[in-house]
Amino acid sequence: MPGAPKPRSRLLTVVAQDPSVRDPRGPRHRRILRARVEVPAEELQQGPGGYRVQVVDYDVSNDVYYKPCALDESGDAYEKKGDRTLLADPGFHCQNVYALVMRTLARFEFALGRRVSWGFYGHHLNVVPHAFADANAFYSPEDHALLFGYFPDRQGKMVYTCLSHDIVVHEATHALLDGLRVRFTEPSSPDQAAFHEGFADIVALLSVFALPDVAKVVIDLASAGKGRRRRRSEVIRKKDLTREALRRSGLLGLAEQFGSELSVVRGSALRRSVDELWPPSPRYYRDDPEFEESHRRGEILVAAVMSAFLDAWHDRLAALDPSGSGIMSRDRVVEDGAEIADTFLTMVIRALDYTPPVHVEFGDFLSAALTSDAEVRPDDSRYGLRRRLLERFRDYGIEPASAGDGAGNVGFWRPPPAGVEYGRTHFEQMRSEPDEVFRFAWENRDELELSKEAYSRVISVRPSVRVGPDGFVLREVVAELIQTLAVKARELHRYGIRRPAGMPGEVDVTLQGGGTMVFDEYGLLKYYIHNDVVSPTRQPTRLEYLWEHGYFRRGSAAFRRFSNLHRQRAAGQQVLSPEVW
Amino acid sequence: MAPPQRVTIRSYQVGFGDCFLLGFHYRRSSRFVLIDFGSTGKAKGAPSNHLVKVAESIRDACGGRLHAVVATHRHADHVSGFATRADKKGSGDVIAALKPDVVVQPWTEDPDARPDARRPTRVSQPGRALIGMLDDLHAVAGAVHKEVQSWPARSRARSQLSFLGETNLANLSAVKNLMKMAGKQQRYVHFGAASGLRLPGVKVSVLGPPTVEQTDTILKQRSRDADEFWHLQALAGEFSVSTRALLFARRHVLKGSPPRSSRWLLERLKATRREQLREIVRILDKALNNTSVILLFEVGGHKLLFPGDAQLENWQFAMSKPAVMKRLEDVTVYKVGHHGSLNATPKTLWNNFKHRGPANTPDRLQTFVSTMPGKHGSTARETEVPRRTLVAALKRESDFHTSQTVKPKDLFREVTLTV
Repeated sequence: MPGAPKPRSRLLTVVAQDPSVRDPRGPRHRRILRARVEVPAEELQQGPGGYRVQVVDYDVSNDVYYKPCALDESGDAYEKKGDRTLLADPGFHCQNVYALVMRTLARFEFALGRRVSWGFYGHHLNVVPHAFADANAFYSPEDHALLFGYFPDRQGKMVYTCLSHDIVVHEATHALLDGLRVRFTEPSSPDQAAFHEGFADIVALLSVFALPDVAKVVIDLASAGKGRRRRRSEVIRKKDLTREALRRSGLLGLAEQFGSELSVVRGSALRRSVDELWPPSPRYYRDDPEFEESHRRGEILVAAVMSAFLDAWHDRLAALDPSGSGIMSRDRVVEDGAEIADTFLTMVIRALDYTPPVHVEFGDFLSAALTSDAEVRPDDSRYGLRRRLLERFRDYGIEPASAGDGAGNVGFWRPPPAGVEYGRTHFEQMRSEPDEVFRFAWENRDELELSKEAYSRVISVRPSVRVGPDGFVLREVVAELIQTLAVKARELHRYGIRRPAGMPGEVDVTLQGGGTMVFDEYGLLKYYIHNDVVSPTRQPTRLEYLWEHGYFRRGSAAFRRFSNLHRQRAAGQQVLSPEVW
Repeated sequence: MAPPQRVTIRSYQVGFGDCFLLGFHYRRSSRFVLIDFGSTGKAKGAPSNHLVKVAESIRDACGGRLHAVVATHRHADHVSGFATRADKKGSGDVIAALKPDVVVQPWTEDPDARPDARRPTRVSQPGRALIGMLDDLHAVAGAVHKEVQSWPARSRARSQLSFLGETNLANLSAVKNLMKMAGKQQRYVHFGAASGLRLPGVKVSVLGPPTVEQTDTILKQRSRDADEFWHLQALAGEFSVSTRALLFARRHVLKGSPPRSSRWLLERLKATRREQLREIVRILDKALNNTSVILLFEVGGHKLLFPGDAQLENWQFAMSKPAVMKRLEDVTVYKVGHHGSLNATPKTLWNNFKHRGPANTPDRLQTFVSTMPGKHGSTARETEVPRRTLVAALKRESDFHTSQTVKPKDLFREVTLTV
């Protein structure tokens, strides 16, 4: 006789942001702000270790192995524990990273409507919460792992990067993005170098704001004003929640509470996006050489998304006060803020499927977000997220890669080319078999503008089932095709590509290109989002950038490892230069 | 006094390190300037007291009196020879006895500008913060050095990191000796400062290192996180190696062997840690190189450029000045920066030298490199020192002098310039 159905999810306590962000309204005044998050339920072994995440508590600096943590099947052992236990019990640290990584994975799987792989060959991601004494945390594909460092602060108090929500989600996002777009870590344009960091910051911040407990803190800070005593009340006066108050006292106020020591690990994306990069200006992206550096450039992406989030939240307040009394329910304001953050989070993750497989630029990401969101969530009238995203990106000088779909939707990807042939392929096979998708591409190589000289390969075929807010189900198959062409620099002119000044003719140049094919539920090509391998407009700019920045050097890959990126930013290092021998 | 009639450049064989003795020979007398004296790798066949022999050779050459000592920066391969011994028989004791009139060091070594100094200083607050950060760098180097001692003996990673860690230690004995040997005649210089050298008929200019304020005029503000980063890194290193403390109560530590399932990961983590430490040391090594004093000597038709180990970030301020670049066009003697590494001879600087050229070029540029292969960098990553592409250019376009061809028993090579 079958037993009772097993629960599909469970709640686990985590630190809502990091231990320095305190709960001003909790029953125990000023204790660490925490949250209970929903994660998929599963059969766990000690660690905890589940089907996708294995926590291994080994400290390599001191060669110490801490006892694996045993989470019971359904309970939340740390829900009622005090701050001291949370900080001093490694078991809680293990629970914290396990829950946040699983939550991030689940968030990606929900948004993309399918299982999502890590960026390495294997099912298990090792998560090491106390990996080394070092002001660093990073995703290490070679180790199949997320590694979190620890270090004492100036007062001698230990700072654990594994207890910082945004740092954990940021690193987990690197591992997931690396699985979804393997070529995004390769040398390309300043935008692609910045995209991994910027996107991971966006997911991390929206993930934090999607927690109602954090949204509450933002609202309290914003409505109380800087330096004024916060009052506990069920209602908020609308005039206290101006857009400026939300930005300065709310978001910036929260950013200032973030553990300052951790800024050497995480950077200061939130503070910079709502303070230093305010008001928006196109000059950062277009004219300022400082923003060619990948971390700084990534902050522009964060600023554009965060200001769209701020707009949407603020403008929603009018709807929460239909009578015009000037008084709103605090809980409703908080709920809406968390929901907007969550919707934005889904939107940016979903956009990944609609990006080209290689050479992503910020404009590609914008067109991808607008198009993919409209496919699942056609009605955007509640929050107007697509309109705001387009406006804010433009404020920061980022134009969508596509002018529009020809049907009046500005920035949307265009429909695929006409004349695509389906007669020799079988869609049932195309749902999972790269060879069948490749046959489709081969038969349509002229229509898809594929280079006949380049090496071509379908690197992924992913069926997805997405559910819209109205319960509407969208089925798609997303496939990536890559083209690679190896030439000598002196041969570039044959393809109409300008050779960078000073590049010797015998230098080996590998050109990359390709396209993402999105098929609808009937097997018809819905979108073809591509960067041509021999594009005479985009390739020369990329090659010049790569040549000038030393990416053609043999050892340059070492400088781009995730393990080194944060440290290079923190230490202000210039890593690659055209001046070297 | 009339200008010198000739100038001698003596490059000592110190293995991996720098030691140059410049002689300015006037009609009736000579003045000698010692630029750096250090080593972190003995040349093959050199005896254990090799540095003392070098010091004695310097003493004999200068007749028991040095006009100046220049310690370009605090790396062991540039200052270890200044270290003293309790029995007063160290190479640094020999040099101290030569009673230099002046000791020149970068402004970052100014004891009055240290965060804990009590005397007034002209160094600005950001400059003092940078000096504090350099202290942290030494502490991090010390921690790395200690941590690698627990690794398997004779491993390549251990010897490589020991070498780099050792280079970046505080080298306190040498530093104290340098402070003491010239009494009050200490010069802590920056771009544009007076060098303090008194060499009649010779113009000596300081082209580096820039101050924090000078750097800020050409680059965006120095990373605001850098000071904090290195301080926390130093604290982390201190925690890890000096206390071997546990993060949590002992009851949380697993007794016995780790689970078999994690063996692969544990080995991987050790390899990753080694890579991490290598990267940390590379960054701090570079930061200290960039405190190097850069000196330009102009005498008669000759221009002698001695940049220590300055790398691009140090050079950038001088290179941003068109007038400086104009003066550097006709350099005739170039001491190759940082033992011939890939990033210490900026290509813009090299291409600016007009006396480069094939063998028959009039007044052809002379280049001196003091180096030793196999100590720094890797050929596979194209970071080897000396960098072969640079050496090829030096050989092709200059009269190239390398310490690699000087036998330890010969001690030095000397070149004479007629003024």
